[in-house]
Amino acid sequence: MRPRFLFVAGVLAWASFAGTVEATTFRVDDSATIPHESSATLRWRQIAPSRGGDNTIEGSTTVQVRLNLAPWLNRSGRVFLVLPEQPIGPVRVSWTTQGRLLPGQLVSGQRALVQAGPITSPVLDETLILKIETDGTRMSSAVRLNFHFEIDID
Amino acid sequence: MHPARIRLIALLIGGASGLAAVEAWAFTISISPRNPRVIYLQIGVGSFTGLYNSGGSPAANPTVNVVSVTVPAAAVGSGTAQPMTSNTGATNSFYDNFTFCSAGQLYVGGFYRRNNSSSGPGATLTASSSSPLINAAGDSIPFTEIQWTSSGIGDTGAQPFPAGTFNGGTQTIGTINRNQWAESCHSFSYRNTAVVPAGTFTGTVTYTLTAP
Repeated sequence: MRPRFLFVAGVLAWASFAGTVEATTFRVDDSATIPHESSATLRWRQIAPSRGGDNTIEGSTTVQVRLNLAPWLNRSGRVFLVLPEQPIGPVRVSWTTQGRLLPGQLVSGQRALVQAGPITSPVLDETLILKIETDGTRMSSAVRLNFHFEIDID
Repeated sequence: MHPARIRLIALLIGGASGLAAVEAWAFTISISPRNPRVIYLQIGVGSFTGLYNSGGSPAANPTVNVVSVTVPAAAVGSGTAQPMTSNTGATNSFYDNFTFCSAGQLYVGGFYRRNNSSSGPGATLTASSSSPLINAAGDSIPFTEIQWTSSGIGDTGAQPFPAGTFNGGTQTIGTINRNQWAESCHSFSYRNTAVVPAGTFTGTVTYTLTAP
């Protein structure tokens, strides 16, 4: 009887946990997403070092996004673009879209909403034009920014 | 039998959880700084589109500036330094249009722009005065006879391009640290330590800013 009692207790605990969670976050399969350029070149915003300390370098690149949303088809959720914190300090990213995802902006370490509502298609294709800014004085060589998408399912 | 079955179920759940953690999709964008090094040097007259503190950009200016003095005959070789004046008229800094130099001084300034400024050497300003001043008769005066003081209106502390004397070769005038604008105003004088023949003596000093 002792093992049976533990098993029942475990089931009850799981049911309680599921009842209090409003959304579950999943990583979205974006493995078919392809940047148009192998590297985005960032240039000084101001060619002279400014009195206000504006050492921003900036540039843009285009990304062909393909998201596999099939696991959540006909469910409702919110899709986010995520950029983890970077060793070179804050990286600011803003983007425009073709209308299938929301335009927006974020700073590394944050995520930004790009879609909300029912998932009506198993695959979502979109073109993002990303503008990237960071502090050029902290960047000595090329840096790889690993973006990903995640979805909160209601 | 029941305890064994429960343990088996637990193992299967753990395995499924491990598989889910392996799925870590991401797309990568490489970013790299382009042309991270920019230098600007202004000796005397310079050119700037707008002002630096409002996003202006420097431009090329081929002007060769003249610093001169006329020594009275009675004073030649007296050892009393003779103040020289520049013809540039460039007294305002393109940094912010502040009147930084006085009339007759030579503006010396510039900036050094590069990435990764946390450490590393700055840009070095050198001057080459290896060819002496010469008159029409071929007489010469070495550039070691010319010296300068350094100042800037409203400045306190050490000048980035301090006072000195030409050495008749190539010498370091000062340094511009990374991602900084540096400027000084030089007041030249002829040391007048030797009696020289009459005439107009001319020579050229070439300033060079070198970024590592």
